[in-house]
Amino acid sequence: MKVNPELIDEIKKYGAFDISACFNCGNCTAVCPLSKEDASFPRKLIRAGHVGMEEKITSAIEPWHCYYCGECSQTCPREAQPGEYMMALRRYLIAKYDITGLSKIFYKTGWLQTWLTAGLFAAVLWLYNGYTGDFGALAGKIEMAFPVYVTIAIAGYLLNMYRHAIVKPLGGIKASLKPAHIIETFLHGFTQKNFNGCEETDLVRWGSHLLVMSGYTLTLVISNFHMLEPLDRQYSAFSPVSLLVWYAGFAIIAGGGVMTLRRLFKSAESSKFTHPSDWLFVVMLFLIGLSTVTTLGLNVLHGPADPLLAKVYRVNIAIETVWILLVVPFTKWIHIFFRPLAVYFQHVRKEAEAGTAFSL
Amino acid sequence: MDEKIKEEASKDNYRQEPKVGVYICHCGGNISDVVDVKKVAEELSKYPGVTVAREYPFMCSSNGQDLITEDIKNLGINRTVVAACSPSLHDLTFRGVLQRAGVNPYLHEHVNIREQDSWVHKLDHAGATAKAIKLAQAGVEKVRRKDPLNAIRVAAEQRVAVIGGGVSGMRAALSAAGKGLEAVILEKGPRLGGKLLDLGRLYPSGEEASAVVKKLEDLVRADKKITVHTDADIDFVGGFVGNFKINFKLPGGKSQQVKAGAIVMATGYEHYKPYKGEFGYGEAANVLTLPEFISLMKKLPAGRLEYGGREIKSLALIHCVGSRQVEGVHKPQADGKINDYCSRVCCTAAINTANQIKEKYPGVRIYDVYRDIRTYGMMHESYYEQASKNGVLFFRHTETDQPVVTSDRTGHNVKVKDVLTWGEELEFKADLVVLVTGLVPSDISLIKSQMKMPSSADRFLQEVHLKLRPVELANAGIFIAGAAQYPMDSTEAMASAGTAASKAGILLAEPDIPLEPFVAVVDEKKCTGCGLCPAECSYDGALTMSEKNGKKVAVVNPALCKGCGACVAVCEPRAIDVAGWTLAQFDAMVEAIAKE
Repeated sequence: MKVNPELIDEIKKYGAFDISACFNCGNCTAVCPLSKEDASFPRKLIRAGHVGMEEKITSAIEPWHCYYCGECSQTCPREAQPGEYMMALRRYLIAKYDITGLSKIFYKTGWLQTWLTAGLFAAVLWLYNGYTGDFGALAGKIEMAFPVYVTIAIAGYLLNMYRHAIVKPLGGIKASLKPAHIIETFLHGFTQKNFNGCEETDLVRWGSHLLVMSGYTLTLVISNFHMLEPLDRQYSAFSPVSLLVWYAGFAIIAGGGVMTLRRLFKSAESSKFTHPSDWLFVVMLFLIGLSTVTTLGLNVLHGPADPLLAKVYRVNIAIETVWILLVVPFTKWIHIFFRPLAVYFQHVRKEAEAGTAFSL
Repeated sequence: MDEKIKEEASKDNYRQEPKVGVYICHCGGNISDVVDVKKVAEELSKYPGVTVAREYPFMCSSNGQDLITEDIKNLGINRTVVAACSPSLHDLTFRGVLQRAGVNPYLHEHVNIREQDSWVHKLDHAGATAKAIKLAQAGVEKVRRKDPLNAIRVAAEQRVAVIGGGVSGMRAALSAAGKGLEAVILEKGPRLGGKLLDLGRLYPSGEEASAVVKKLEDLVRADKKITVHTDADIDFVGGFVGNFKINFKLPGGKSQQVKAGAIVMATGYEHYKPYKGEFGYGEAANVLTLPEFISLMKKLPAGRLEYGGREIKSLALIHCVGSRQVEGVHKPQADGKINDYCSRVCCTAAINTANQIKEKYPGVRIYDVYRDIRTYGMMHESYYEQASKNGVLFFRHTETDQPVVTSDRTGHNVKVKDVLTWGEELEFKADLVVLVTGLVPSDISLIKSQMKMPSSADRFLQEVHLKLRPVELANAGIFIAGAAQYPMDSTEAMASAGTAASKAGILLAEPDIPLEPFVAVVDEKKCTGCGLCPAECSYDGALTMSEKNGKKVAVVNPALCKGCGACVAVCEPRAIDVAGWTLAQFDAMVEAIAKE
């Protein structure tokens, strides 16, 4: 294999600035509670990065098994921050699997995405404010367009990941059709239960993560099915839709709030290094929760004709628009799909090895 | 006998009737818990020739010693047997007691009833007691037959000859001169400084090697007690402790001689020279050894690393070239042996150089191919860490899977089966290959053979004991300074040189050197001149055949003889004895032990 020393320089642009200090002792892998014999990390991936084994990195599913408990970074005798390296790999892989190439630019240029987001938000809000027709109906159309856009974006990613992690290394289209494996994949997707595989369970992190996840998924359902029509009807505080919105909004606010505080005070190993994209992610989430809850609150209190509500709802839809257009497809948001898929791909690989995988 | 060697003035009481005092030590229970010391003393007091026998908890304590002194004074004791621990611990202690009390110190016999009795017969008290009695009785028989001996004193030249004018030699000369001795440096090269003349910035101080040499040379040149001979070609080394002679030629063929009481061997090392074709050395362009690269880099300006008119953008360091060689993998050296030792200093030197390259030419890619990284010294690990942080890419191979370098006009292709990458065969291009060569001893075969100096398995000079006598050769009066002993860096070499000079200073502290009198003595009347004994003697010049009063006899040089007794064993007419350990004494001891 030809050594390519440029790869590590490339990965370093996604974080992990200290990784060159690594001297391959393997303490990180030994201490990692999630590293398994058949999916061993971080040492091997660090070495693969150092010598430039690009295919080994792009086909790796291990970065998605890592939940960044930070024990490796605390144990590392050279302070090479292996945990942060795994984080950088996830960013690198997102950029790699992105067909548009935009994530790569966003990750590498730091605050560009934030400024673009802010600019796009201002522009969209200006458009929405200037719209003289029935905004409620327009919002309905916009929200119904989200799933189409998101599906296309995600599909591109997932196909790319599948191509790199399964098709290329296994030499063909392979799948696992065992129901147990499929169920486990979904279970991981909804609970991210491997979080608790970390030795010192960080319940606050897992809890806030679960709150945000469930709140956000619910928001997705509410908005993508245009369930909330605040300009067209009056909601009571305890109507079924209201209850869903309350939960979704407050879960995001509470979970996102905790995450923000932890990043601000760098209280855990996992929140020591913050990439600009991480900030954009949590702040946007927080704003989505806040604007959704405020929208419903104004509707419940003052009715659908409230002039303030009209403004807040436009802000709410503008934030969602920007989120869907710029944040969802090009930041770590996508990892919620990669993590369970990595669990699934692990099964596929094992089955392929045993010769029981479905293949085309 | 040489006129310079004489016996000490005799303090003589040997014509007196032997009066033996026997002293049994409890060793605080170490002996008395097993051996019935009272019974031993009782039995010994009845033994013929014994005037008094006593037991005491600690004979070596000052109270115990006083007991002996009192007996010498009051009872006229003139020979002593102390049955106690090992003679290596306290023989000298009790010899001192006798000497202070005015008795010849060699009229003492130390019997070991601890290591050789109580410690090894813990379960058999009666047997141990009987054995102690026998051993002590044999001691009495031996001491009764002892003659007073006197230390041999050798008049010594108050001068140290330092062979080699590198940093070790200069340091040793300066330390010796600091102790008031004259020092003569004999350097074969045209300049002082040795190998450091070609080196660059040294670890761990970061000083330039040339600055270190300059500092030392200035001090040496300013010291009136130090004489320096450069371009000195040594053709003869001879003599013995206190009286060495070194002949050397200066340019123009002029011969000179230095007489010295002690010699410091600061003969240093050579860089291993790769054979033609070793990793492309001597065949492909752009393959250098580390020392060659260091002197190249010294001359180059910062900004662009260049060799042979070409810019060097990538560089491979290959460790352990000429070191830690493996039988069957590496080509043997000229003597048929491989260099299986670790040269110790090359890892840190290579990594120190890598960091300096990164500092001076930041864009250069550095690949470091190693078997084990041994940056062993104080804080040297930080060089390794810094190199990693600087992006030096390390590859590790096993002893049998050596890296392979193939070269063409575009540069070199290096293949390594990399342990760190789970045994994957990795391959990279390098514009320059630098072989991190090891250290081999300098060629001092002439001096070594003339003085019969011992070599280690690695062909370096070998000390007596690495921990207890680290800078002494088995040849009395010859000391080792620096990398003549084993590969060391300049820091270690100078520390070792200071130690060697100290040892020489202690040896020459008095105008004559006292030596133990336990040397072979020839009874010329019994000697048949058969000539068997010189062949057995391991110490060159200690035993020779020579004409005396018209008769061929064996003659001993007491300054060279070590008293090993090899000559005694081959002498059929029993004409040779080792003083203090005569055959008659042994016969009497055996008889005493064997007697029912």
